[in-house]
Amino acid sequence: MKKIRNLLATLSVAACAFAFGSGSAAAQDHTIGALFPLSGPNAVYGDVFMSGSDLAVEHINADKMLSGPLSIAYEDSQGKPQPAVVGMTKLVNVTHVPYVLSAFTGVSKAISTLAMRNEVVAVNGGGVGPDLASLGKYFWNVIPLVNLEVRAAMPYLVKEKGIKRVVLIYIDDPFGNSILDELKSTLDKAGGELVDTLSVPVTAQQFSGIAAKVRAAKPDAVYIASYGAQQIQIVKQLRDNGVSQQFITYSGYLVPDALALPESEGLIATGQGVNYKSDDPVTKRFVTDYEAKYKRAPTAYNVNYYNAVLIYGILAHALEAEGKEVTGANLLAKREEMKSFNLVGGTVSFQSNGTLLFPIQVKVVKNGKTEVLTTVSF
Amino acid sequence: MLALQLTITGLQTGALYALTAVGFSLIFGSTRIFHFAHGATFIIAAYLFYFMDISGYGLFLGIVAATAGAIAFGLLLNRFVYVPIQRDEGSFFTVFVASFGIGIVVENVVGMIFGRGFVTIQTPLSFSTEVMDGLFIAPLSWISILCAAAFFGILWCFLKFSHMGMSLRALADNPELVRVFGLNPRFISACAFTIGSILVVPAAIISGATSGLNPAMGHHVMLISLAATIVGGIGSVTGTLLAGLVLGLAESLALLYVDSQWTEAVTFAILFLFIMLRPSGLLGRSAAH
Amino acid sequence: MEAYLLNLVILISIYSILASTLNFIMGYAGIYSLAHAVFFGVGAYAGTYAAMHVNASIFISLPVAMVAGAVLSLILALPALRVRGEYFVAASLGLQVLAVTIFSEWKSVTGGIGGLVGIPPVNVAGLDIFKPGQFVFLTLAALVIVLIIINRLVHSSFGRSLRAIRDSESAAAAFGKNVPLIKTISVVISAALAAVAGVMYASYLSFINVESFKLDTSVLIMAMVIIGGTGTQAGPIVGAALLLLLPSLISYLDFLPQTEIGAIQQIIYGLGMALLMIYRPGGIIGRKKHSSAGKE
Repeated sequence: MKKIRNLLATLSVAACAFAFGSGSAAAQDHTIGALFPLSGPNAVYGDVFMSGSDLAVEHINADKMLSGPLSIAYEDSQGKPQPAVVGMTKLVNVTHVPYVLSAFTGVSKAISTLAMRNEVVAVNGGGVGPDLASLGKYFWNVIPLVNLEVRAAMPYLVKEKGIKRVVLIYIDDPFGNSILDELKSTLDKAGGELVDTLSVPVTAQQFSGIAAKVRAAKPDAVYIASYGAQQIQIVKQLRDNGVSQQFITYSGYLVPDALALPESEGLIATGQGVNYKSDDPVTKRFVTDYEAKYKRAPTAYNVNYYNAVLIYGILAHALEAEGKEVTGANLLAKREEMKSFNLVGGTVSFQSNGTLLFPIQVKVVKNGKTEVLTTVSF
Repeated sequence: MLALQLTITGLQTGALYALTAVGFSLIFGSTRIFHFAHGATFIIAAYLFYFMDISGYGLFLGIVAATAGAIAFGLLLNRFVYVPIQRDEGSFFTVFVASFGIGIVVENVVGMIFGRGFVTIQTPLSFSTEVMDGLFIAPLSWISILCAAAFFGILWCFLKFSHMGMSLRALADNPELVRVFGLNPRFISACAFTIGSILVVPAAIISGATSGLNPAMGHHVMLISLAATIVGGIGSVTGTLLAGLVLGLAESLALLYVDSQWTEAVTFAILFLFIMLRPSGLLGRSAAH
Repeated sequence: MEAYLLNLVILISIYSILASTLNFIMGYAGIYSLAHAVFFGVGAYAGTYAAMHVNASIFISLPVAMVAGAVLSLILALPALRVRGEYFVAASLGLQVLAVTIFSEWKSVTGGIGGLVGIPPVNVAGLDIFKPGQFVFLTLAALVIVLIIINRLVHSSFGRSLRAIRDSESAAAAFGKNVPLIKTISVVISAALAAVAGVMYASYLSFINVESFKLDTSVLIMAMVIIGGTGTQAGPIVGAALLLLLPSLISYLDFLPQTEIGAIQQIIYGLGMALLMIYRPGGIIGRKKHSSAGKE
């Protein structure tokens, strides 16, 4: 396998040299777009996403992977559909980008039609709503979606940790509802029981009442499915209000703000399996440079947006090597042709619905850091 | 037991709602200024306290800074925004728009300084202990309720017995009368802003410890204050106090019957019904025309 | 660039419809509604429902949306008949919050927070319209028709009755005007026309969710009216154009730190609202001291 990859790499370098030699590929600046929440309550994610994508840009430019320098045009989505559509229109029609980084389920769904109509690739590395898998062929996910996380975690927890009775607190949107469905079916199969489900509105901030209901249900564990500030809020307030049971949550929780919270201690979260200690050169370089640049350990989100930009680099590089124009349609064709990619976290391939398949890790929070309990591969 | 727990939770929430709402009600009742930036006062006080707290200045200085900030904001807003608008006989709606604009500015400035994510004031006081079987109460619950009681006690005495308090009530009833008696309405309204802003401070600090802060929460604070003011009856401090408690209790006890996404709707359904059936509110004096 | 401008023109037209219809009840009837986004939403959802489940023809989705908006507006008319001033503002606020909850929870129709994806393009006489270059004519036509309707109404005896009610309800009643009926009709017309904007919006974005119909939107529409000039015909359009152009203009200023652009936009927008109210409460178009805005 490795041999083949090396061979491919050599071939593509050769092809590249050939292309340059024949002078068919003119040097050009590369701009891709990004729709991140840069203001509003979810802006904390914007910074996290940018740190990954910015590093990838640095690496691609340092390697001279493309014929001209790569840059990212950031637009503020505020994490909401309408500003996202306005920003997307600007990226597509004014900046003329072939490739847009997207985040958040609502934003991604809102721009997916524009991406399709204008043949621009939109790549999600942050939203984990399962419906993101079906937004058309121009919509890709470089993140495993949340149903995979639930499917990985629950059998393990029921079996190994003796968790039988689970209460679910979920945000009342498609994301939360899909967790509800997935949790019900996986718990059933694994021999656990969903004893109560409590939905919370997107804007809620007060959870002491919810805490009382959780206690009344006497569960072994509480699964929390929300995001952003609210998710952190729920964890803190449940602990404050006498809920001492095990907390379980998904990858959305693993941001620095949340890990720093003392109440996060002991919480179990799933997330895509990235072996940061891997010897794979791409991963190694990413981890070393990320820590050097930002003075903290990278999280899965940093990885995903790094990967999202890296995929563009790889695809555009290949297209330039063939002397083809870097357009959304060509990028899509190239991705379907190349199948597997050498990214941070190893070599991964896209499923036919445009979603990357990553292994899932079950982790526990200890002293503000995560420790891996087990890794589940699919 | 669940009902008892929810009642206590509701009382705590209600006490905090009542404090902010009475601040708004006092300003609105006496000056007729639709002070929508009251939510911004809340944010400013809370974040100032948070800043002093993480910088290690301690509780007392934190409270002083939060109070000073809240008062300064209220007074400056009154002096440089509301007074000029009212001089041109701007309607309550013009004032409302200006106030709303200021609210947006504060939200974003605070967001730029402190980050737009969630912060929380760390204190062991927010941690509940099991008082009886299945009944958890945090020290902050008592503090909220006692704080509310103390502040209202002082406010009540002030309004009832002090000269300024009586003028405030007079201003609410009849601004002309105040002028006739040689009082300066401008000065009295500055007083209303001072007191109204002070009342926000304890609620802001306690909320920061129990439910955390984020720059965008001013809106919610404001909506609740407005609802409590109307349900209580415009101009009635006691009515607003009761309404704040009722709304807090309703929001919490509603959990017994409906899913939590409906709790906010419960609050505003109460508001809507009051406006339709009893526009003068719980203890309002005059009808709403 | 061209498409980007077209996009802005389309959004401005849609919001101009909203602002003008709000101005109709606010400026001429003195009904200060903070629930206008509700009818925007009702129109969008009803039109989309018709387009997705019945037929994407504009001659079906538009009437369905308008009827839905008109019927639901009776709920807003109810408090408008009983109270005014800040009480009505609070009542409309209550309605707005209730509506958002219903929009979020009635998932079979509204898709909840997740919204509705893949809304079909508007079909006008067999032609699918979704390209900005074509859609812009549709929205401009809608705007012109709405403006003509409002203009006619304002200058009719109905409009005179409205202004009479705005200035003094009791005097109007004394002159034998049927105050409740006139108020109700004005709210119904305003809501039905606002629903038109909803249909345009939904089919243009091809995605809607509850986020677009929240209190923020109601306030934005109201700010457009007030900043442009309450009770004037051009005011709401100027207001809509200004408030929608502002963010786009700011994002062209390259020297601003990228991460703070969103916040800076909001700050300028908020500060602008406040300053205008201090120095020009009649709005940009309105006379400096505008009597209708000064009504108390």
